Amino acid sequence: MARLVEVAKLGKEFANVRALDGVTFDVEAGEWIAIMGPSGSGKTTLINILGGLDTPTAGRAVVDGTNVATLDENGLTRYRSEKIGFVFQQFHLVPYLTAVENVMLAQYFHSTPDEAEAREALGRVGLGDRLTHLPAQLSGGEQQRVAVARALINHPKLILADEPTGNLDEANEKIVIDLFHQLHTDGHTILMVTHDLSIGCLADRRIELAHGRLLQILRARPGI
Amino acid sequence: MFLRLLWNLLRASRGRLTVALVAVVSGAAVISALINLDLDAGKKLTREFRTLGANLVVEPPRAPGTGPTAPALLDDAVLARVTALRTPEVVAEAPYLYVVAQAGGRAVVVAGTWLDEARQLEPWWKIDGEGVVSRDDLSRCLVGQNAARLLVVAPGSPLELRSGERSVQLTVAGVVNAGGAEDNQIFVNLPVAQQLGGLGKQFQVVQVSVAGAGPAIASYAARMAAALPGIEVRPVPQIAEAEGLLLARIRWLILSMELLILVLTALCVLATMAALAMERRQDVGLMKALGGSISRVTNLFLAEAGVLGALGGLLGYLLGMGLSSWVGRRVFDAAIAPRLEVLPLTVALMMAVALAGAFPLRLLGKVRPAVILRGE
Repeated sequence: MARLVEVAKLGKEFANVRALDGVTFDVEAGEWIAIMGPSGSGKTTLINILGGLDTPTAGRAVVDGTNVATLDENGLTRYRSEKIGFVFQQFHLVPYLTAVENVMLAQYFHSTPDEAEAREALGRVGLGDRLTHLPAQLSGGEQQRVAVARALINHPKLILADEPTGNLDEANEKIVIDLFHQLHTDGHTILMVTHDLSIGCLADRRIELAHGRLLQILRARPGI
Repeated sequence: MFLRLLWNLLRASRGRLTVALVAVVSGAAVISALINLDLDAGKKLTREFRTLGANLVVEPPRAPGTGPTAPALLDDAVLARVTALRTPEVVAEAPYLYVVAQAGGRAVVVAGTWLDEARQLEPWWKIDGEGVVSRDDLSRCLVGQNAARLLVVAPGSPLELRSGERSVQLTVAGVVNAGGAEDNQIFVNLPVAQQLGGLGKQFQVVQVSVAGAGPAIASYAARMAAALPGIEVRPVPQIAEAEGLLLARIRWLILSMELLILVLTALCVLATMAALAMERRQDVGLMKALGGSISRVTNLFLAEAGVLGALGGLLGYLLGMGLSSWVGRRVFDAAIAPRLEVLPLTVALMMAVALAGAFPLRLLGKVRPAVILRGE
């Protein structure tokens, strides 16, 4: 498999706080990586840098041949729209747009909105009958599935999920994790921050962070 | 998608935007009314200025060394030419002949004129009794209030005027309160004064009231002078200059008010948009995280401000036209017609004001998505 992500001696400092300190790892295309660690270990900072939402203060973060550290504001915007699909813990849907419009919003910022394609994407996550519902009219699980459809609509190279089941009940958590499982099976590359070891164990590898440093990288046990 | 987003954005923030819209509509209404008034003010005000009296006089040439004791006179031929030259710009014109006569044993100044026109030349007159509405009425007169008191006459009283061997019997139609020298005079139609003075068809001066500011009056005077060679035609400079000065000051006042209202409207929009910007930080952070460029995101919000300005300008224009019509009736006693050319000007001004007021929304371009999405 080809290497999609290369993180080398990555560092990030906020004021006097070192959020990431010399983190190094690679991700192959099609891999599902779980990033784990206690609060304040630098998981979200790592995801934000890889997603082009933040810039590192040291090291390299190369995604699909693009070193995020060297991009300016416009370059980061283009990078986010072309290479990254985000799924957030808080869903982050635009409250006054319907499910299909939320998906089309990502298309709009990427290139040209295609409503038929957006409807199809929502159909694939089981929301074909909730297209014109506003986020407030959807359950948490449904909102997160809209977010997944939105993340996938522009065919990103890398899906970054920050605790995507953190706000869901057990039933919805299973639906969303099954969805990620399916994405992985379909060949998508996923980096997922999670506190839940049972979810972490579903990934191909677990990267564990502590105090901004890479603690260990664990391969999934066969059969899990 | 842009229009769809814009529509949803407008619907989602309709509460706050309604507040901003009310500010823009109010500002636009007053501004469009003022612009409409300003465009019409020249015409309306110069008509109002005509209440100041004549601003042009036609009189015999002043020969060098000729004193006031030997006044030259004009004749009917000049009056015929003055009348033939009359254009719609002329509000009123009338010949005047002043003679001294005896009434009730007292010497009084009798002014012979066209009493129907004199009423328009001197519209500030207050008349107790009746006016004389025809220049052919040779049996009635108007008496200034001081003269009426001295002669002990009232409307309906008989009055005999004598000048040497000549005399006329008149009836007092009304008593004039003019607040000036006219209060000491007696006003009769021109033939009566000519008969008293034994002057045939002669008179001393023609007074003309021309609508328009200084240049219009000067232009009309030049046309008359060209048509009346040897006759002196001159504007009354104090009145013409006062009119021009007052008009300029009123225009300046209107312009100042327009600027003040534009600033106040922009401040109202600014306050509303600042609150809206705070509400939208989350949406903007998300849009930027999804790959929305600063220009695309801010253009969306600026378009929203533009719609606000355009809609406010349109509604304000409609209200403003009603307002200017009402002001016209109240102030100038004449409706001011709505002018369509004020519409694009009002809309453009309001869009500019709304865009200036939307400055806080432009600051949303500086929102850092990572910070917003962390919930900070």
